[in-house]
Amino acid sequence: MAKLTYPTGVRPLLIEETARRRRIEARCIDVLERGGFAEVTLPIIDYVEPYAPLNNPDDRRDTSRQSYRFIDREGDLVAIRSDFTPMLARALAPSLSEEQLPLRLFYRGDVIRCEASRLGANRELFQIGAELVGDGGVDADIAMLRLASDLVRAFNGKPTIVYNDVSIAAALGGAAREALVTKRAGADAPPIVRNLIAGNATIEDVAPFAPKAAARLDALRRALDPDEFVLHLDDFEEGAGYYTGLRFRVYGKSLLAQGGRYDNLYARFGTAAPAIGFTFTIEELG
Amino acid sequence: MRIAIPKGRLQDHSLRVFAAAGFNVPTAGDLKTRRLVFHSQLATGNSQLEWIFVKDCDVPVYVEHGAADAGIAGLDQILEHECTAYQPVEFDFGRCRMMLIAAPGAPPLTKIATKYPRIARQYLDSRGLRADIVPLGGSVELAAVLELTSHVIDLVESGETVRVHKLVMQDLVAEISPRLIVGKTVYRTRPREIRELIARVEEANYGIENTPGRR
Repeated sequence: MAKLTYPTGVRPLLIEETARRRRIEARCIDVLERGGFAEVTLPIIDYVEPYAPLNNPDDRRDTSRQSYRFIDREGDLVAIRSDFTPMLARALAPSLSEEQLPLRLFYRGDVIRCEASRLGANRELFQIGAELVGDGGVDADIAMLRLASDLVRAFNGKPTIVYNDVSIAAALGGAAREALVTKRAGADAPPIVRNLIAGNATIEDVAPFAPKAAARLDALRRALDPDEFVLHLDDFEEGAGYYTGLRFRVYGKSLLAQGGRYDNLYARFGTAAPAIGFTFTIEELG
Repeated sequence: MRIAIPKGRLQDHSLRVFAAAGFNVPTAGDLKTRRLVFHSQLATGNSQLEWIFVKDCDVPVYVEHGAADAGIAGLDQILEHECTAYQPVEFDFGRCRMMLIAAPGAPPLTKIATKYPRIARQYLDSRGLRADIVPLGGSVELAAVLELTSHVIDLVESGETVRVHKLVMQDLVAEISPRLIVGKTVYRTRPREIRELIARVEEANYGIENTPGRR
């Protein structure tokens, strides 16, 4: 008898669920298009080789380790899409020119990961993401944070957007970074690390060793409503991936979206351009 | 706030720490019932607390999923589940070592029986070794005693089981300690409450560690 089940983490959506997904998509696209964002379509598979310099095999949550890979008929190693952002950079960077910038783009589609980011979560995720390419200013950060908020509000949600700057952890040593990742500071940890973890550190405390991040976060804090946009100076993940500055996560009842700034990503694919973006997972919205 | 307590060897210590931290923990009488969920209030406040009692290996799953806000889990379970929850407090109780243990006569490494297949795989990779991994649910040493496998990877507390069965401890896989684990979502969205809980537990742990008569 044929198998009744599907591979772990994937399933079909039938009439009602598909209709729900389409409604969510339509509402997101409405918000994005009103914000001046234009849609692009990215392939579902791509060669592995162009992304090799981005990969960090020691980081178990590196998206390259989460992708399904196989050898195609020509003998090339290819991967199924597991992260839109590097694919967009690879698609745009080789032919990017000053006159085109800034670019406001969005994309939608499935990403497929062989290891779910949360235990038992779906392996096939339908995402909608937006990116602002070619504007490295703090106003671009503010605009993208507000756009993420608008998307949640379009579904009558009340977002909490937690933000920080990954360059703060990068400016600290390895042991301090480890303490920030686990949130456990040993007795010998520097006072700044203990204060960060206890939630007592201020932007002024960070400024001496990460002045650019401090200035940037200060500008964000002044511009954004603190009830909705919450600065967490100790919020760091193991391995920053391609993020170079602002990093944020959007919460409603659960984690809805995440994003940040990656100013070095486009240079790796041919043309330097600052960029910031975020991705919503559709199942969590609506 | 929902807190996951591991049933088994860490349960009593875990409750003692939370009690010392000022939480109204379930009583011995409560625990004699078959209930798995208990409610209480913070001894010094109005915050509602919910205690859930789950198998030790499930604590990281509940916290990672957000089904519990915090819990106590051994590093063995945290590593095996690749749990990404924060680990703000490391406890002094319940410490042990995860060891590679050979069958009597220390045969060449060919098969490893273990409750921790993921950790075993990572251990083999890190040492550049090759062996088959046989996942088992419990009484893992028996696999080596009965020569089902050449080796086992398991937790060792006193080492008595190893000695009695003439097994041979060969390598340290990891030092294991229980930790307070805290979900990332609650840490980001309810920072004040969760930081208060962490601070209380940290202080209680420090107090227990430094009680006269303890090491």
